[in-house]
Amino acid sequence: MYNIVGKNKILLSISAVLVGASILALTLWGLKPGIDFTGGTIMEINYTNERPTATTINEELKGLNLGQIDIRYSGDNGVILRFTETNEQVHQEILQKLGQPEETRYESIGPTIGKELTGKATWAVVLVLAAILLYLVWAFRRLSRVVKKGESWRYGAGAMLALFHDVIVMLGLFAVLGHFRGTEINSTFIVAILTVLGYSVNDTIVIYDRVRENLLVDGWRDFRNTVNRSLNETIVRSLGTTVTVIVAILAVYLFGGESTRDFILAMIAGVATGAWSTIAIACPFLLLKRK
Amino acid sequence: MHKNKLWTNFVLILILTIFALLIDIPRLPSWFPLHGWFTDQKVHLGLDLQGGTQLTYQTNTSDLPADQRAAAVEGARDVIERRVNVFGVSEPLVQTAKSGDEWRIIIELPGIKNVNEAIKMIGETPTLEFKEEAPAKVLTDQEKKEIAQYNINAQKKASDVLAKALKPGADFAALANQYSDDPGTQGQGGDLGWFSRGVMVKEFEDAAFTLKKGQIAKTLTKTEFGYHIIKKTDERTTDDAKEEIRASHILIKTESEAAIAAGGGWAYTGLTGKQLKSATMTFNPQTSEPEISLEFNAEGAKLFADITARNVDKPVAIFLDGYAISIPTVKEAITSGKAVISGKFGVQEAKDLAQRLSAGALPVPIKLISQESIGPSLGQIAVQKSIVAGVIGFLAVVIFMVVFYGLNGLIASLALLIYALINLALYKLIPVTLTLAGIAGFILSIGMAVDANVLIFERIKDERRLGKTGTTVIDDGFRHAWTAIRDSNITTLIACFILYEFGTGLVRGFGLTLGIGVLLSMFSAITVTRVILKLFVYKK
Repeated sequence: MYNIVGKNKILLSISAVLVGASILALTLWGLKPGIDFTGGTIMEINYTNERPTATTINEELKGLNLGQIDIRYSGDNGVILRFTETNEQVHQEILQKLGQPEETRYESIGPTIGKELTGKATWAVVLVLAAILLYLVWAFRRLSRVVKKGESWRYGAGAMLALFHDVIVMLGLFAVLGHFRGTEINSTFIVAILTVLGYSVNDTIVIYDRVRENLLVDGWRDFRNTVNRSLNETIVRSLGTTVTVIVAILAVYLFGGESTRDFILAMIAGVATGAWSTIAIACPFLLLKRK
Repeated sequence: MHKNKLWTNFVLILILTIFALLIDIPRLPSWFPLHGWFTDQKVHLGLDLQGGTQLTYQTNTSDLPADQRAAAVEGARDVIERRVNVFGVSEPLVQTAKSGDEWRIIIELPGIKNVNEAIKMIGETPTLEFKEEAPAKVLTDQEKKEIAQYNINAQKKASDVLAKALKPGADFAALANQYSDDPGTQGQGGDLGWFSRGVMVKEFEDAAFTLKKGQIAKTLTKTEFGYHIIKKTDERTTDDAKEEIRASHILIKTESEAAIAAGGGWAYTGLTGKQLKSATMTFNPQTSEPEISLEFNAEGAKLFADITARNVDKPVAIFLDGYAISIPTVKEAITSGKAVISGKFGVQEAKDLAQRLSAGALPVPIKLISQESIGPSLGQIAVQKSIVAGVIGFLAVVIFMVVFYGLNGLIASLALLIYALINLALYKLIPVTLTLAGIAGFILSIGMAVDANVLIFERIKDERRLGKTGTTVIDDGFRHAWTAIRDSNITTLIACFILYEFGTGLVRGFGLTLGIGVLLSMFSAITVTRVILKLFVYKK
């Protein structure tokens, strides 16, 4: 049996560094909101012949009042344009001015939708968190009765802490990606966060479940040892599942489409931190201020 | 007894799997029973996978009383749906959504090419127009000459066709299909069906009734419509001793000065949906047939009074979106500002029409606030890549499970395969619209299914370490793993429920597929794995 609990300090410091770096990245660079949140237009076009340079495109589209036009190349003949929200008439004019290239994607979203999306997503996440917390407190209610009053709240809080850790690290990762690779966060990013919430809680619950079981058998004699034993008993399955899921998602990352890359990356990061935070955050929290 | 129950379960699982597999296979061979039904089950792909356009319109209902807003938006939705249907998109989706105080209309057009055109068409506000007959046209000498020439040509053509029809062995029906100008009988060999005296035009009847059964008239018959070549095909006497004949004809149309002068079309009157105050479905007190009652505002009432006054005994046409939906004849001038559209409406039809007219009358201005188009090629690539990635991912999971858990891992993989098959079948049956986010939900649910299996195997190992044997190992292993599986899955299900209820678009799809996946994964891990383990591995 490994003394995992004994390495608490090391585990916690690693997490602290991760969270610290994430917060630093977030304050330094912030997240790059996509048009889903801010409103605007994103347009992906493919040229059959040689594609024009960014300067040419900028020159062509001058006078259409598109605001700052962000031009990026994609693949061999593709160009991705980003500019302000616009109407269908202007859209057609743009296509004409660019010589009617093949259009693979066109999204123009008004700012109200963005505001609404942000609002709704925030609400959904808050509700999910509250519901998970309440369910955990209820599911572990026996501990409150048998072991100590209010004990089950600790489990709810521990799972929440682990969640926050995972989400902050993921936000940090996207701040870094946004800064260096221009990765934007859009509504699929919210889905990725939700996925991570689901996985992280799942993983934490399995270990807490084992702690609960052992605690009801062992009693309160050596809680530290009980937690350590529970960790040892579940760590193999935790790693097993995590590796399996990551292997599956990795296949999607490597062989799936370009458009889902960032989303899958967020999921891989989330699943990894989800497993990590259970060991480094959720379990040590059970021992906080206890012998 | 235990064994029997296991075998029953095993057979049930097998049947379920085969059923799911049949649904999953895109196309079954035609000799297969019920292959049509199975083949009809299709995966519904979201626009991000299929390619297509989603348009979101904001409606401005601020001018309307609060209790009429929902109905007005629904009316606008119906009008738009009709416009979209005219546009010929397969499986379009037009929905209304309320967001705060604001009503939106969301339109999904899968696989559409000409988005620009569609936007133009949808954006037009629905129109209702009242039109009167255009005044008679005065023909010029040149026009008269052209008509005469046209009719001479027609007669020549008719004579030629008659000569062909009278040749022995000629196929009258084929000739009718080839030459007849009568749209009503075209493609039916010119067959007019059964009729008695007094039904057809006099000249036609006189000619037809003198013929013998199977005989073709030797000469052309001229009526106001043109030249007819008539063949009497059958005769009979009805129960009330009336003589009826059946005939076919070939019509070569002519033109008449009078008809051209009169048929000048419909003229704009200035009375449109703008002057409409309301439209409701009512029942005619005499016939109790459904009708649509219109009420005009002051301006409309005055216009309507003028129009009806100058069109007594003449028709006035009611046009909706450019189509004449009703052409009543005016009996007397109507000054009350009320009109009734009657016709052979069904109740639902009349209700819908009233709603649409209300929408046209109470214009809900709409504004395009979001447009998302995904090219069909991009969507196709996404689907192909997702399938490849899915298969590779699945194989990777199988290899991993077999390496770590040996035979158990293989069984878990089998359970997982069954899980995936049933899951896909459910997507087709429910149906679930599959988007990228939905696929993410599905992948995560596979993770949960794997997790449940791994939990169980770890527990079974523990039990064996304690020295237990036989099926007790499995039962205890399952029992101990159950609380963890239950708690983690219930939290996930709660999350799915919230995402589905409160989320929009992507988030909603994610919640749905994950929820279905979690429910099914519990079934696959608990039932499928357990039955197979008990039957084939731990037999004692």
